[in-house]
Amino acid sequence: MQEKTLGDYIITVDGISKTFPNGVCALCDFTTKIRRREVVVVIGPSGSGKSTFLRCLNGLEDIDSGSIVIDGIPLDDNKKNRLEIRKEVGMVFQLFNLFPHMTVLENVNLAQRLVRKKTKEGARQATMDLLNKVGMPEKATSYPSQLSGGQQQRVAIARALAMMPKIMLFDEATSALDPEMIGEVLDVMKTLAREGMTMVVVTHEMGFAREVSDRVIFIEEGRIVEEGTAEHFFTNPREERTKLFLSQIL
Amino acid sequence: MNAHTHQFLKRSLSNLKRSPLVDVVKFSLLIMAIVWFMARGTERLGYNWQWYRVPQYLFSFKDAHLVVGPLLQGVKVTFHITSVSLLLAFAIGLVAALFRMSNSFVARILARGYLELIRNTPLLVQLFFMYFVLAPILDISRMASAILALSLFEGAYASEIFRAGIVSIHRGQWEAAHSLGLSTFDTYQYIILPQAVRRILPPLTSQAISLIKDSALVSTIAIYDLTMQGSAIISETFLTFEIWFTVASIYLLITVSLSIVVNIMEDRLRVEA
Ligand SMILES: Nc1ncnc2c1ncn2[C@@H]1O[C@H](COP(=O)(O)OP(=O)(O)OP(=O)(O)O)[C@@H](O)[C@H]1O
Ligand SMILES: [Mg+2]
Repeated sequence: MQEKTLGDYIITVDGISKTFPNGVCALCDFTTKIRRREVVVVIGPSGSGKSTFLRCLNGLEDIDSGSIVIDGIPLDDNKKNRLEIRKEVGMVFQLFNLFPHMTVLENVNLAQRLVRKKTKEGARQATMDLLNKVGMPEKATSYPSQLSGGQQQRVAIARALAMMPKIMLFDEATSALDPEMIGEVLDVMKTLAREGMTMVVVTHEMGFAREVSDRVIFIEEGRIVEEGTAEHFFTNPREERTKLFLSQIL
Repeated sequence: MNAHTHQFLKRSLSNLKRSPLVDVVKFSLLIMAIVWFMARGTERLGYNWQWYRVPQYLFSFKDAHLVVGPLLQGVKVTFHITSVSLLLAFAIGLVAALFRMSNSFVARILARGYLELIRNTPLLVQLFFMYFVLAPILDISRMASAILALSLFEGAYASEIFRAGIVSIHRGQWEAAHSLGLSTFDTYQYIILPQAVRRILPPLTSQAISLIKDSALVSTIAIYDLTMQGSAIISETFLTFEIWFTVASIYLLITVSLSIVVNIMEDRLRVEA
């Protein structure tokens, strides 16, 4: 299925480090480059720095050293750059983080209206298209509390996509879901991947990695231990630590 | 008595226990008891009740026209002072809360200084300071100094309530908003405050009620609010008990109405969310 062609580098991460006030080094001299349309799956044990890596990519977390460049824009202290990057990078969280006081429609509309400055009608049209895409057009007027976990996560994906991002980050998007709902969310993610979205996905769903990822990165203690195709990880992982980790999650 | 009627009696009894009628009866009994005690007590004082003289201080009729009496004029002043102070206090409270949580060191220090200063001195002293010291300097009226003093005082407490409400909103809401590219201002306006307000409505109402009661202190700088009118009437007529009871009931009426309105608002908001 890998007939898609990858583009130029859209994410350049060069030697970034992030140490939390408690002295934990969550990312240590971390370097990687990601191409346009590439789907990268990040795996690693709990506390290895996967979430921190994603959160650094859209400036939710400040880095101590090193540099991040997203689509030509350096992620630095410049507020304008940071805002520009956040417009281009969508994020989906483990606990959905929908806005509970707003309907599905309002959740998806909000940033289109405030950040993309769309008209009400323009935003509504785009929102309905996106809700169709994630398979729940009939839920536009529901509140998040009235939806199942899987439905909430699909709305959260629609909300992120409404900004027309160039990159999508997924932080364990299915690990808070009941088993029977994981599939519906993974399906939406797979569709996105096939449409050529650049994605960085933290997940332990190795089936997803095998089906749509171009590269898997295994990290431990804030460093890349091994990277390669999903096939490589399944058939002949090089490092002992990788083998140990895979034996635990497979 | 068969089991069926027994069941029925039990159910109606528990229904009765839950009905508001029971509360009303309990409340009436309590009031009757209090009145009885008062009557007994004042009898011993030899107090001469003259309730019939009270209504004229609320309102009277002259040439078929309704004339507002001094007590209701006082209510008007109290309303004016409390409503303006309430709005100002909430605005000041919100700004102080945001300052306290801001990244700016200067803003945090300012907020901290204001809160400590206000919370560690009596309102009466603040009121006098405002009226006798600041008012001549700033050239502001009696009324303005009263409103300013009350707003600054209640604002300090309101800010603690706002802060608690804001920090109670899950971090994920900030992260979702930021990851969508919303500014901090928009995040407060559309995401954080609407959710916080629902949670802080009850303590904020208590604060509003405190403000209404505290407003009685403005009578000390000779503003003719409800309390001042009451004591003026008493010094002329010696209807001490009747007037103070009337004044207290009016305060009670205002605060209870406010509670009821807020309760209705809360129900509305809950349905929405
Ligand atoms: N806000 C924080 N303050 C202090 N330490 C933190 C904070 N966030 C993360 N850490 C620490 O940084 C390290 C990396 O955390 P991170 O959340 O990135 O791990 P993770 O790989 O996503 O783990 P998990 O699989 O459990 O989600 C951990 O040791 C964690 O305890
Ligand atoms: Mg994590």
